[in-house]
Amino acid sequence: MGLFNGLEISATGLTAERLRMDVTAENLANAQTTRGANGGPYRRKEVVLEQAAGGGGGFGAQLTAAMGPRGGSRPGGVQVAAVAEDQTAPRMVYDPGHPDADARGYVAMPNVDSVTEMVDLISSSRAYEANVTAMEAAKQMFSKTLELLR
Amino acid sequence: MLYDTTQLALHRAIEGAGARHEALASNLANANTPGYQRVDVDFHTALSAALGNGGDRRAAVVGASIGAQADRTAVMRADGSSVDIDAESAKLAANALEQQAAVQVARTRTAILQAAMGTGG
Repeated sequence: MGLFNGLEISATGLTAERLRMDVTAENLANAQTTRGANGGPYRRKEVVLEQAAGGGGGFGAQLTAAMGPRGGSRPGGVQVAAVAEDQTAPRMVYDPGHPDADARGYVAMPNVDSVTEMVDLISSSRAYEANVTAMEAAKQMFSKTLELLR
Repeated sequence: MLYDTTQLALHRAIEGAGARHEALASNLANANTPGYQRVDVDFHTALSAALGNGGDRRAAVVGASIGAQADRTAVMRADGSSVDIDAESAKLAANALEQQAAVQVARTRTAILQAAMGTGG
């Protein structure tokens, strides 16, 4: 059943892009956080995506397998491999009055660049829209196929 | 035989468009996956080869391969991915229309068959 699988594939894309948006929002929100979870300044987080294996369980996959090979592989969408921390050095800002300033008056600020985050946010929001469009096309195709039964 | 070779080919084309939609949806889902190689389903070539077959066209159409293949000709981006989100969206829209056209033709042919049998349509 190709089209239901098509919806699932687009859903994996939606999940992945939404997580990217969440992580970007977290980075932007913590752009000035000097006390992160591990003591030092907040570190920028990045989502690592990987290609998901096709097929899977379910009735549709079993039926396709039982009907014999049609050649080629079955696409499976995308999955999140990890949410990794950006290991670049923190930004040092001279601010002697800051409570977290070191002996020389420098404060370690998060390695978050708001321009990079905005670009990431736009790219994930556009990719999200593309996945929604793919879902709508799958719905149209499916309802058109159902007309064959009328 | 209720269905002729053309009807079978139409059914395979609908199936192929469904498989192609899966492949293109997977490309869009992986739009931000570094190193991803785009996949596509070339059911047009498979079906036209089957229909141009000199021998048993019926068996050739039924057995035509419409699985997803990696597209090694696509231009690679800086991050190693070969997905162009605009090109994929355009292909997806065209494929959806093509599927709906094939379904419409299949429906009309079934209606002709029903009219000939005197069962409405």
